[in-house]
Amino acid sequence: MRTPAAAIAWEFGQRHRRGLMALLASVVVLGAIRIAVLTTEPHPELGDLTFALLVPVPFAATFLYLLAVFTFGISGDIAARESMYPPRMFTLPVSTAALAGWPMLYGSAAMMLLWFAMRVAAIFPSGAAVPMYWPALFAASLLAWTQALTWMPYPFRGMRIVISIALLISIDVVVFTALATRPRESTMCLLLSPLLPLAYVTALSAVGRARRSDVPNWRTRATPAVTSSAPQRDFRSQAHAQLWFEWRQFGRTLPLLVAIVLPAALSMLFLFHETDAIVIEIVLSSLLLPSFLAIFVAATAGKTSANASDSYGITPFLATRPVDDRAIVVAKWRAAALSTIVTWMIVGVAVPIALVASHATEPIVDIARNVTDALGRPRAIVVGLLILAGLIASTWKQLVQGLCIAMSGRDGAVKGIAFATLVALTAGFFALGWILNSRVRMAVAWYAIPWLMAMFVALKLVLATEIMRRGFARGLFNRTQLIIGAIVWDVCVFAVYGVLVLVLPEILVRRHTLLLVAMLFVPLVRLAATPLAVARNRHR
Amino acid sequence: MAADEPVIAVSDLTRRFGARTALSSVTLRIPRGGVYGLVGANGAGKTTLIRHLLGLLRAEEGSVRVFGLDPVADPVGVLSRIGYLSEENDLPGWMRVDELIRYSRAFYPAWDDAYAEELRTRFALDPAAKIGTLSKGQKARAGLVVALAYRPELLVLDEPSSGLDPIVRRDILGAVLRTIADEGRTVLFSSHLLEEVEQVADHVTMIRQGEIVLSAPLQEVRDAHGGASLDEIFVERIGSA
Repeated sequence: MRTPAAAIAWEFGQRHRRGLMALLASVVVLGAIRIAVLTTEPHPELGDLTFALLVPVPFAATFLYLLAVFTFGISGDIAARESMYPPRMFTLPVSTAALAGWPMLYGSAAMMLLWFAMRVAAIFPSGAAVPMYWPALFAASLLAWTQALTWMPYPFRGMRIVISIALLISIDVVVFTALATRPRESTMCLLLSPLLPLAYVTALSAVGRARRSDVPNWRTRATPAVTSSAPQRDFRSQAHAQLWFEWRQFGRTLPLLVAIVLPAALSMLFLFHETDAIVIEIVLSSLLLPSFLAIFVAATAGKTSANASDSYGITPFLATRPVDDRAIVVAKWRAAALSTIVTWMIVGVAVPIALVASHATEPIVDIARNVTDALGRPRAIVVGLLILAGLIASTWKQLVQGLCIAMSGRDGAVKGIAFATLVALTAGFFALGWILNSRVRMAVAWYAIPWLMAMFVALKLVLATEIMRRGFARGLFNRTQLIIGAIVWDVCVFAVYGVLVLVLPEILVRRHTLLLVAMLFVPLVRLAATPLAVARNRHR
Repeated sequence: MAADEPVIAVSDLTRRFGARTALSSVTLRIPRGGVYGLVGANGAGKTTLIRHLLGLLRAEEGSVRVFGLDPVADPVGVLSRIGYLSEENDLPGWMRVDELIRYSRAFYPAWDDAYAEELRTRFALDPAAKIGTLSKGQKARAGLVVALAYRPELLVLDEPSSGLDPIVRRDILGAVLRTIADEGRTVLFSSHLLEEVEQVADHVTMIRQGEIVLSAPLQEVRDAHGGASLDEIFVERIGSA
């Protein structure tokens, strides 16, 4: 490496080689799926069915990944006043322009390449005129502005989050408002082209200020410094203190990610608002987004330090708190619940606003009307609320069930699980599309489902028994807690079963299948395994 | 816990990390009261031993008891009575000093607000300052405030003054001396700054390549070596390693 540019590129490549290889592999998989679909008989409905899950979801995931890579990681304290640019690089004998410019150039190039790869490899709805250049420019601009805003020092805590969300949403709104006028691609490119140089100038200023430790502090100007450590309020208990710690540490991540990604996803409504199927897919994707992003957030939720970007080991600071292993886990679960509630408040506000603003409410209203006609108003309302409750519960479940991996301290397992999940989701939805495409396959799958589910339930119960036996042997659970846990799980299973019975007539799904569904839905193994993972990590 | 029961009782503790033996059949008993200096070269096993005492490492062979309790099986019972300051000083960088104090207070019923405030003022820590922006010395002071404010029965300091300026080292030693002044409390103090250990310790344990090579009252050690300084004794017993 003879130049700083090559050294910076090498660092990105070397540090994230596995992730980048995985990203490349996912594009190759998408391409393979496209070839498989396009070279066999026509599947006009397959494109529509799988569009949301084969294009926006992997694209959003890879977008977030590249965002983390090229901003030098968003796992730090995103609310901090200080720049998130790594201070170690400030002492390199290179100009500030190079420090700001090369990562931005590499990031922008990576985003453009990602779009072009998606454009070539992914399946788009038949008949949709998918533009070539402006989305690449748009993605690169979003990344460049995120870099600039991430590297900027701010006068007060939390300002980065507010400004980032406001600015990124503004860019989205301007672009998609422009799209509503059906402009030519060249017009869109012209509209977007100033964003990149402007982001660079902002980043240059941000890195320059960070390099000379120029962190504005509004307190020194506006108010006298606090001189007493007298607390504003006491924590009522250890549990409250630990909940506060977890909320500050990771609880805000999911709402923040959803607030960033959701506007981008919903802005597609402005583009496709006349195609009912795509409107429905976008809304469904938006509703699934919290659960989906929670899978990835769960990996960072397991970290015990915002600074330890490479390690999932429990920090001595946390490990030496005089609390038992269960208390550490329970605080994570409670913070996850809070995070879920805040996230769904954002979704609950953003989706209706986007639907109304883009004039895309009609297909959703039609669905609601059809369901009401079929089930009657009270039952339709109950079904709607149950689906919403299920989605919210699923978000929490995704946040906490990954903790048993993330809190085990095994870095390889943590990094592998996110990619494996993405692959499994993509493959699963493709398989679903393939099955739904043939009546014979559907019939076979329909009869096999209960048996497969029974197998998974048996596996789940065996694993749960073993985990609880080990937890009992290590003193993590006592007999009473195990009995109470089993009762609570049974009650939850029967509650879900009861709801399913209420909603789904027996002629559609057998009762025993519903019971199996409930048993699979209510988490057990991974929740029970989390205290064991913490104990292993804390007392190595 | 009986009055004559040792605060720390380690028996035949062996720990391996892969092929490397970090601790080999370590046996150590520390009674209540006094300052115990744990000295050894870098990588000798001091931190590994301390991590066992805190329950951060599980005894693979041998046993570890602190206040008569297993720190892995009963972390609450042990950790609520220990004040710990680590060399790494991994206090959360995102917390402010007042938040750190408020957060830590929730875990210790015996937390003494007045004492915490006294320490914070003496160490000139701005309550509004974020931990991440503090200097290494200020971080050590902040760590010391939350390690001392509940007057723990056992204070464990793992290389607390490593890389710190003389003023912070004086603060830390002052805190140790103050702890000794409080009757019946115990300090375990690991360091490779021997003059520091010599200043405050009344008992010294030397560790070399995971083995304890010497453990005796400091005066006894000096007498046995013809009044030599700890530096000279260290070079003689450990420097040859």
